[in-house]
Amino acid sequence: MEWYMMYMPIAGIEIFWPGLVLIGFAVGCIGGFFGMGGAWMVTPGLNILGFPMAFAIGTDIAHIAGKSMISTFRHSKFGNVDYKLGVIMVIGTVIGIECGAQVVMWLERIGKVGPVVRWVYIGLLALIALMVFYDYYKATQKKKAGEVGEHGAEGITWYKTLHRINIPPMVHFKVAGITCSAWLPIGVSFLTGVLAGFLGIGGGLIRMPALVYLIGCPTHIAVGTDLFEVMISGLYGTFTYGAKGRIEIWAVFVMLAGAAIGAQIGTVATKYAKGYGIRIAFGLAVLACMISIILKQFKIDMAATVLILGAVGSICVYICMIMFRGAAKELRDKKAGTANAA
Amino acid sequence: MNKYYCGFLLLATTVLTALLPDIVQAAGGPAEMLVVVADSRRVQGGIVRYFVDSYNTNPLWFGIECTVITAAMGVTFGLATDFVMKRIGIDLTSRKIVEH
Amino acid sequence: MKRNLLVYVASIALVFLIAIPAFSAEVAQGKTVKYDKDNQSIVIEEYDIDITPQNKYGKPTGKQLTFDLKEALIGRTPEPGDIVRIAFKPSGKENKAIRLMNVSKQDIMKK
Repeated sequence: MEWYMMYMPIAGIEIFWPGLVLIGFAVGCIGGFFGMGGAWMVTPGLNILGFPMAFAIGTDIAHIAGKSMISTFRHSKFGNVDYKLGVIMVIGTVIGIECGAQVVMWLERIGKVGPVVRWVYIGLLALIALMVFYDYYKATQKKKAGEVGEHGAEGITWYKTLHRINIPPMVHFKVAGITCSAWLPIGVSFLTGVLAGFLGIGGGLIRMPALVYLIGCPTHIAVGTDLFEVMISGLYGTFTYGAKGRIEIWAVFVMLAGAAIGAQIGTVATKYAKGYGIRIAFGLAVLACMISIILKQFKIDMAATVLILGAVGSICVYICMIMFRGAAKELRDKKAGTANAA
Repeated sequence: MNKYYCGFLLLATTVLTALLPDIVQAAGGPAEMLVVVADSRRVQGGIVRYFVDSYNTNPLWFGIECTVITAAMGVTFGLATDFVMKRIGIDLTSRKIVEH
Repeated sequence: MKRNLLVYVASIALVFLIAIPAFSAEVAQGKTVKYDKDNQSIVIEEYDIDITPQNKYGKPTGKQLTFDLKEALIGRTPEPGDIVRIAFKPSGKENKAIRLMNVSKQDIMKK
């Protein structure tokens, strides 16, 4: 076996391990920089590197559990969590994850898990790319018009209608300051759970807006509660995929090591980032990831591998460059400051 | 935002509709369970062998192990990199969560 | 912070201590010679681990092994000629299989 290949004893495959490190690093970097997980690239990335789809999903979800522990430990206690809401949502999340995982196992049995999950991912990534580019477009339009500060939450009040659903038990959530039927958060968390269990993602991408727009949580409470929920869903997902025998624990280890370093670089880089250019790079990375899944679907494996690793690699280089340039400038300024003071 | 949701639903429906006939057809085919046996002959002793053996003998225990070890790995790596960064002089413990 | 760390280290140590009761199992791979569904047993011709592009499942050793499948979790039903991988506990004369994986039939389902 060549030095750049690593034997994965459970799936019984040999994997290009620098690719694993790069994917882990990129997820950490992008997660730290944008504040949203990059789990969308892990499942397709692992699949393209050679993992069977069910293993890719299980390994992704385990890696999310590890990563969410990092952020949880870093914040040491959850600020801004409505625990009552969080605990009620756990019910829906856990049942949802199990359902999602069962669907994956069923698809695996009938031999369709690869194509189905890949096509769903293609849809999801197309949507993310659309969101990113639309946001960019909106921001530039606003800038042209001279408007500053925007937050889309005010316009949409779907939750007001949903709060009128009067199915007992009605629950009051003190921290979030809302009263609604317990079935509403359970339903929302169930749906996000299904998607998280099916795609191997944390679900924050869907849960966060759902908490704000459908349940009516204030944004800061939504962020904290979502973090809590991601951790629970990651841990339960790890357990259930582990028990189903679809986790490659060594890959999780390699990726987490990369993610821990990447997260630090990404977070530091946010200090120095200016402008919207990086969002375009992000959108392009999402698009590249989508194209590589399509290539994989049509069995053009080598091109898919090169494209996905190239895309996530270049966005990492971009973020690292922002960090190193910014840090160097800060150090120079500091030096100049002390020289002036002296 | 509601545009995104509508878009997502539309995409999901399209994908599912496109795949449904295929899935239904396949569902009629073989649906026996897939069992994976990790090849412990190809790993040397030690911790790798232990994991492979627990995978082969007790899946439920393997699930618990994965959960605990992943959580522990996450915390360990987080603490280790925080420690290194603090040594360099950057404190990230009080950073804000960036919203998306 | 220090107390947190201590609790954390102690809990991991505890988990590993609990984990010590070892799960030991052997694994054998080879070509199915005979699968007896009624008596729940299988005979395979064992392959070694010398895996090459020509022999991606290993080379035949010529040795035949019999496994008792009464308590085993069986995947795709093996047929004579299929390559199977079996996790088993060697107990006296009989090898008690725990899991049986049909390697050749599952390969196509993998990706």
